[in-house]
Amino acid sequence: MGEDFTQQIRDKAKELLENGAVECVIGYETGSDGVSARPAFIYDAAEVDRLAFDNTCTHNLVKYLLDKKGKSTAVVVKGCDSRALNLLLSERQIQRDKVYVIGVVCPGVVEWGWNKRSEQLQKRCNWCRQHTPVVSDFAVGEPITEEPPAEFADVAEMATKTAEDRATFWRDQAERCIRCYACRQACPGCYCIDCFVELLDPEWVGIRIAPDENWMWNTIRAYHLGGRCISCNECERVCPVNIPLSLLNRKLEQEVLDLFDYKAGMSEDAPAPLITFKKDENLGIAE
Amino acid sequence: MTKILGKTGLESWLHNIMQERALVAPKHVGDLILFDPVQSVDEVVFDYENTNLSPKEFFFPRTDTLFTTKSQDNDVELIPTIIDQETVIFGIRPCDARGIAMLDGPYLDDPADSLWAQHRNKTTMIGLSCTKPAPQCFCTSVGSAPNDSSSVDIMLTEVDDGYAVEAVTEKGERLLQGVELKESDVTLSAPSCDTSVPAEGIVETVKKVFDSPYWSRLADRCIHCNVCAYVCPTCYCFDIRDRTDKGKIERIRTWESCQSKGFTRIAGGHDPRADKGSRLRQRFCHKLLYFPQQFGPLSCVGCGRCVVSCPVNIDIREIISDLQELGAKVG
Amino acid sequence: MSEDNSPLVIGFLCNWCSYAGADMAGTSRQAYPPNIRIMRVPCSGRVDPLLIVKCFEEGADAVLVAGCHPGDCHYTEGNYHGRRRFALLRDLLDFMGIEKERFRIEWISASEGKRFAKVVSEFTDEMTKLGPRKVG
Repeated sequence: MGEDFTQQIRDKAKELLENGAVECVIGYETGSDGVSARPAFIYDAAEVDRLAFDNTCTHNLVKYLLDKKGKSTAVVVKGCDSRALNLLLSERQIQRDKVYVIGVVCPGVVEWGWNKRSEQLQKRCNWCRQHTPVVSDFAVGEPITEEPPAEFADVAEMATKTAEDRATFWRDQAERCIRCYACRQACPGCYCIDCFVELLDPEWVGIRIAPDENWMWNTIRAYHLGGRCISCNECERVCPVNIPLSLLNRKLEQEVLDLFDYKAGMSEDAPAPLITFKKDENLGIAE
Repeated sequence: MTKILGKTGLESWLHNIMQERALVAPKHVGDLILFDPVQSVDEVVFDYENTNLSPKEFFFPRTDTLFTTKSQDNDVELIPTIIDQETVIFGIRPCDARGIAMLDGPYLDDPADSLWAQHRNKTTMIGLSCTKPAPQCFCTSVGSAPNDSSSVDIMLTEVDDGYAVEAVTEKGERLLQGVELKESDVTLSAPSCDTSVPAEGIVETVKKVFDSPYWSRLADRCIHCNVCAYVCPTCYCFDIRDRTDKGKIERIRTWESCQSKGFTRIAGGHDPRADKGSRLRQRFCHKLLYFPQQFGPLSCVGCGRCVVSCPVNIDIREIISDLQELGAKVG
Repeated sequence: MSEDNSPLVIGFLCNWCSYAGADMAGTSRQAYPPNIRIMRVPCSGRVDPLLIVKCFEEGADAVLVAGCHPGDCHYTEGNYHGRRRFALLRDLLDFMGIEKERFRIEWISASEGKRFAKVVSEFTDEMTKLGPRKVG
C-alpha cells in the first residue's frame, strides 16, 4: 500500500501544482522523528517528493481548509476525513469548486506517538464503517463496500454503571483537563469565530482551570458536535491528558442515529438533525 | 567521597517528610505519570523518563487566587493569599528544576510576584538525575545536563545500592538533617543527552530571520492549541479575571498561552498578533530571543515535552536547526 | 441544593404559555412547592442547552423546561427545535451521570394553571426522593 499510495499522491500533486489547478496541496510527510506522519503543505511542484502516505497518517487535514478559504487547494483525505468535507460543505464553510479532493481508501491508522511505531490500530478504526472516502476527485486505492451495523459496545458499557459512578468518572476526567483546547483546535467541526468558552459576555464558562468549569467545557464541546461529529476522533488523539472524548461523541452519535436516523457527513445535502425537525415525532420527552 | 542513601533509607526518609509536609512526587494518574501529591511512598514512581506535565504547577498553579475580598460597613478589604503549606517535591528532573529557577527572572524581578515567591520559599526540590535520557530530551544542547544540580536543593543519583546524595542548598541540608548516609567511593557516571541541537548563537540568528516567511509556512501546520505552552516548564503567561460566586469575590489567575487567538486582543477588538504566523513566531521568539535578552538563558530547558505532545509535530529542535540554516543564508 | 436540603429546581418557562400558566396557578390559588426558581423566556426554543448545563454546573438539582404544546408555538416552530435539542441533551447528561429524571420537559398552556402546579409538585417530590446530586 504505502509506496504505491505515496507515488500516486505525489504524481497527482505534481500535476495539480504544475498546471496551476491548485495553489497548495495539503498532505502528509514524515515527521521529525522519522517515524510518524505530520501534515505537509506543498506549494511547489518541486517539493512533492516530501509527500508520503502510510498508516501513521492520522490527522484530519480537512480542518486546514478553513484557513484556505477562497484559495484553490488540494487535500488528501481518508474515509473519515472525507465526511468532514460534507459537513463543511453543508454548513457553507468551504466551496466545492475550490477544493480538489485526493481520496485515499484508508488502510486504518495506528496509534500515533512521537518516535513510537505502533502496530495497534486506533479505536476509531475498529468502529469505522467508512474506509472509502465519500467525496473524492481522485481516488487512491480500490473502493471497498462495507455496511456492517454500527457498533457501540463502549457506550453500552458505560451505561451499565450507576449514575453516581458515571458522574464520578466524568468528574475525574474533568479534573485532569488542562483546558488547552487541543480537542477543539483539531476538530474540523469547531470553527466558530468566537467559541462559547471564550465569550466574556455572557461568560458561560469561567476561566478557572478547575473541575466545574472543565466539566462544563467538555459537556458543551461534545454537545455542539451532536449530529455533526464525523468520528475522526482526532480530539481524543490530541488530548495531552488522554480524556476519552470518543465516549461522549459516540454516545451522541448513537442517540442521533436512534432518534433521527442520521449520520453526519454522509451527504452534502441532508440537513443536520438539530437545524430541522418533524412535527410528528416521538423523542421520548413530554409525551 | 560520595554519600549514599539506601533504597529503604530513602523510603523511610520520604515517609518522614510526609508527616510534616506535603510530598509531591511522580505518580501514575490513569495512564499518565504526573507530579501529584502522594499519601504513601508506595504511590511514588521511581523509574520514569519525564512526567507528562511539568511540575511548574506547584509554583504556578493552573488556577490561583490572587486575593479575595471582604466587605464590612461599606468598606472593602482585600485579603491576599497566604501559602502556609510546606511542600517537598521529590524526583524532579534537572531540566524541570532549571525551568523553575529560570522563572525567578520574570517572577521575582521587582516588584516580585508574591505567590511565586511564597511557593518558592515553601517548597524544597529533591532532584533525581536522569540515568537514561529520553529520545526527545536535549538538555545538554541548551546549557544543562542530565546530572545538573544547579537548580535543586538536594540532588539524588541512582547508584547500585541506593542513591548518591548531594545537599546543594541550605534548605536541602536542613531536610537531610538526621538522615543516615553511608560513605562510599563510587564514582558517578555522567550520562549524555542529545547535543545535536544547534542552539549556540540562536539569539542573533532569530533577530536576522524575524521577518522570514518561514514562520507563516510553519504556522500552516500549527493548529494553535495551547498544549506546548501548558506542558512547558518555562511558559509562564497567564490570564487574570475577577470572579464572583454567591457574594464572594476573588481575583484569579490561570494559565494562558500566546498561541490562543484572544490572547493579545485588546479593547476595541484589535489584535496585534491576529495571524497564525505571528502567533507562532511569538512563542519561539520569546524562548529564543526576548527571554535571553532580558534574563540571560534561553527559555527552553530541553525537556522535550512539547516535541512529544504536539499533535502536529512542531518540533523546537527542528525549528532551531532550520533557523540556523536560514540565518546562515541571510548572512 | 438549597440550605434546607430540599431540591433546587430551575424552571425555564415560555412567556406565551407556561409562564402564564404559572400565573394562572397563582391567581387560582393552586399551591406548588417553592423549590422552583422561575426564569421567563420568550420561547422554549430559546432555551440554549448552555443554560441548562450551566444550571447543573452551578449546582441545581433539576431543571424544568416548559413550553407551548406542539403546534401551538407563538413563533410557529420554536418548540419543535427545542424538543430535538433537549432530547439529545437529556441523553448526554444522563450518560455523564445526571439522571434523566433531573431534566424534564413539559408542554403547559396558559390555561393549564392546575397542571402547572401538579407538574411542579410531582417533579419536586420526585427530586426529593432521588436526593441531591452526589457528585459535582
